[in-house]
Amino acid sequence: MVEYTVIAVGAESEILRTRLWSRELVVKRRPAKPYLHDKIDAYLRRYRTVRECKMLAYARGLGIPTPAVYAVDLAECSIVMDYVDGVQLKELVGHVSPEQLVRLCKRFGEMIAGLHRGDVVHGDPTTSNVLVEPSGRMWIVDFGLADVNATVEMKGVDLHLVRRALETTHWQHQEQMLKAVLDGYQSIVGDGADEITRRMEEIRQRGRYH
Amino acid sequence: MVTICLGLEGTAHSFGAGVVSSDGKVMSNVWDMIRPQKGGIHPREAARHHSEKGPTIIRHALEEAGVTAQDIQLVAFSRGPGLGPCLRTTATMARVLALHLSVPLVGVNHCVAHIEIGCLESGFQDPVTVYVSGGNTQVIAFAGGRFRTFGETLDIAIGNMLDVFGRSAGMRFPAGPEIEREAQLGREYHALPYSVKGMDLSYSGMLTAARRLLSGGVPLPDVCFSIQETAFGMLAEIAERAIAHTKKRELLLTGGVARNSRLTEILSGVAVRHDVRFHRVSPSLAGDQGAMIAWTGILQYLAGNTVDVAESQVLPRWRTDEQEIRWRAM
Ligand SMILES: Nc1ncnc2c1ncn2[C@@H]1O[C@H](COP(=O)(O)OP(=O)(O)OP(=O)(O)O)[C@@H](O)[C@H]1O
Ligand SMILES: [Mg+2]
Repeated sequence: MVEYTVIAVGAESEILRTRLWSRELVVKRRPAKPYLHDKIDAYLRRYRTVRECKMLAYARGLGIPTPAVYAVDLAECSIVMDYVDGVQLKELVGHVSPEQLVRLCKRFGEMIAGLHRGDVVHGDPTTSNVLVEPSGRMWIVDFGLADVNATVEMKGVDLHLVRRALETTHWQHQEQMLKAVLDGYQSIVGDGADEITRRMEEIRQRGRYH
Repeated sequence: MVTICLGLEGTAHSFGAGVVSSDGKVMSNVWDMIRPQKGGIHPREAARHHSEKGPTIIRHALEEAGVTAQDIQLVAFSRGPGLGPCLRTTATMARVLALHLSVPLVGVNHCVAHIEIGCLESGFQDPVTVYVSGGNTQVIAFAGGRFRTFGETLDIAIGNMLDVFGRSAGMRFPAGPEIEREAQLGREYHALPYSVKGMDLSYSGMLTAARRLLSGGVPLPDVCFSIQETAFGMLAEIAERAIAHTKKRELLLTGGVARNSRLTEILSGVAVRHDVRFHRVSPSLAGDQGAMIAWTGILQYLAGNTVDVAESQVLPRWRTDEQEIRWRAM
């Protein structure tokens, strides 16, 4: 009998922690949503499970720290991956020194940049999807909305989403945090970063009150 | 002592006047909408509609409320966001009235007003609000002294998407009700681009694909059905993300598109799943109307937040999170 503890209930998934094969593991399950049309629900759950599984591995190949995947069950729409013993970056904001916060955000920006350099977008780059170990080592999770063959537009949207997450969740620190993320981003992407950050600004203007 | 407020709303195609008292009674709520013959709203034509119909609508609102102009202790107007010409016409009427009656003037944010009137009706304290209309698609919640837009459209608003599709299917403006009726006859779901990005979403790809289905011979009811299931499914997802993220216990649905029963059904499903309370604002308070401006005007006035006539310029691009909400506890 395998024992589980529920460690998080997200918008679309349940995250269970378990010990198996003498490893600490996480099972991410996407249960059915009865209020959606069956076909949309079935499609999304499967598509995102497959997507997440592939992209976790692909991102690893790009040198971005993501949990290793051990198994996937497409009937259940679940993925078994390594447990990361860390806290969400979101929870650390306000509890670490300003210098620490800058360091964490820079690293966040570097991780996004590493993905973008491999033409991958994360799709949901919020501070709850970045996990920080006690050692300071950082991981990025939640790849169900990730995409490959990313264009400038897609990368611009990804950065726009970082900014949106900062302005809704970390309004007291949003300027410093965004600056640090973009610094980290720029340090990896180099000259190409300008075009993407310009696109990020453009996207912000676009949706608003036409 | 109760305060009686006259609220004027004129951000887009509707002009409305409502009288509300500070004990939360909607005494009257009168409005009229310009229906363009073809195409979307023309800002200057809508503004002309407001200045032509405005005085009569205001008079009706006072009559229905059973008050005279002298009973009005406060004038509130929709200061933004919205179409410049419409906002200016409405603001002018409000300023004239406030000066003439020698009462304070309050400039209200249109989106904030949708939320506050919804809270008045439902008794909700602190909801996640899904605000869906012709010009807006936002998921909003209160945090750190402001209403913050957790999710929004990256391109066109949901109501706009429905209207534009409706126009290509030969429907009258606004097309939402007819699309809903057609969708009830739909049987077969055809996949349309489902585009959620973080807590934001996009409808333009879906619109293009839906028009292509129609011109490719898919029956109109099936296209309408597929549009609703996809567009509302996306909204449900971002609402769900906002609930999971903010941990709030109430879900409020408002705006013109809130009239749709299928959307209501889907969002009440979201509420059940997350064990939160759900309320759909009733049609007469969900669309653009003056009562919401009047009620928010009262809240704002009681918090000491009035505006001098000389400084009451309109704010066409006033974002929801730009205003400090002094009447709500942090
Ligand atoms: N491998 C892991 N190890 C430890 N904790 C994890 C792991 N994966 C996820 N978590 C925790 O569970 C939370 C939710 O996971 P995830 O973001 O993948 O789910 P989700 O349902 O997609 O979330 P959302 O609510 O953003 O949609 C994460 O923010 C993190 O705190
Ligand atoms: Mg997540």
